[in-house]
Amino acid sequence: MTNLEKHQNIAHKICRIYTNDQDSHNDLFQEITIQLWKAYPKFRGDSKFSTWMYRVALNTAITLYRKKKKSIRTQDFDSVFFRIKAEGYDDTIEQNLKLMYDAIRQLNDIDKALIFLYLEDKNYSEISDTLGISEVNARVKMNRIKTKLKSIINP
Amino acid sequence: MDDLDLLKKDWKKQEESLPHLTYDQIYKMLWKRSSSIVKWIFIISIGEFLFGVILNIIFADKDYWADMEKYHLKEFNIWVYVISYLITFFFIFRFYQNYRKISATDNASKLMKTILKTRKTVKLYIGYVLISSVVVFIVTIWMILKNHAETAVPQVEKNMAFDTTQWLIFFGIMLLSVAILLGILWLFYRLLYGILLKRLNKNFKELKKLEMH
Repeated sequence: MTNLEKHQNIAHKICRIYTNDQDSHNDLFQEITIQLWKAYPKFRGDSKFSTWMYRVALNTAITLYRKKKKSIRTQDFDSVFFRIKAEGYDDTIEQNLKLMYDAIRQLNDIDKALIFLYLEDKNYSEISDTLGISEVNARVKMNRIKTKLKSIINP
Repeated sequence: MDDLDLLKKDWKKQEESLPHLTYDQIYKMLWKRSSSIVKWIFIISIGEFLFGVILNIIFADKDYWADMEKYHLKEFNIWVYVISYLITFFFIFRFYQNYRKISATDNASKLMKTILKTRKTVKLYIGYVLISSVVVFIVTIWMILKNHAETAVPQVEKNMAFDTTQWLIFFGIMLLSVAILLGILWLFYRLLYGILLKRLNKNFKELKKLEMH
């Protein structure tokens, strides 16, 4: 539990990639918490807690979690998330980032998982391990997504 | 600097804007209801097993057994029951085994595979209920007709024989029950699992597609 509190950012970031509004975000976060709690007896401590948490949390997002009834979309999250107005960024960069985040949001669940792990600086062996695909395939797919993202901002 | 590097940098920056829940807030969440797909599959599957058993119980009332006695089918029926319950228990056992194997700690591909396998067991069970019902139904009708022909000697004919209308009603009821059964099963599959497993199936296919390259 303390571990979970400490690493809760992992879950929040996954929620941001996979959900569109605050309600769903909370919902998914809660489900991740429950799944982590249930799976915790199986955590053997031979890997880092955070590594293990990535796996359980992503599994929850792409496999186990079932969305509750569609809540009315009150607020699309451009405003909350992906806020980005940061110093040192000129408008073009900001614009490009927004375009890329938009593109990411439109990816399918598996591609989202790939790009999420990439953004989290995970290496290919960890990515292939988490998703259960071969390293080569993870690399090929990732390159495709990267090219796609780049082409969006540099058509 | 590369665009993707910028993206990565920005991604890391968002850490500051992420919500931070306290220990207590997280602890409270643990007692909320899980909306996990596995939980639903478990509940629905148990429902389906019960459905098969209840169907047996409803149809096998006293009158049913009396009828079976009349048509010398009691022994045949007892065997059918013993065998069908054995098979049902085997399915429940397999289902439970598969269910226990589902672990959020597995990699995504394996996790999806185990869930689908658990589902498949119940699917096979329903298929078995369907096919065996039809087989038992046909055998029973055949044996009733055979017995009927033997017992329908002229002096008892009036007591034992159905007239045409009765036959029609008899077959009508039989057909109707089979139709209702099929209807319920259709609902299970098209609606329930269609909705329940749509996302899982889609993601599983997506992963498989990656592996084929």
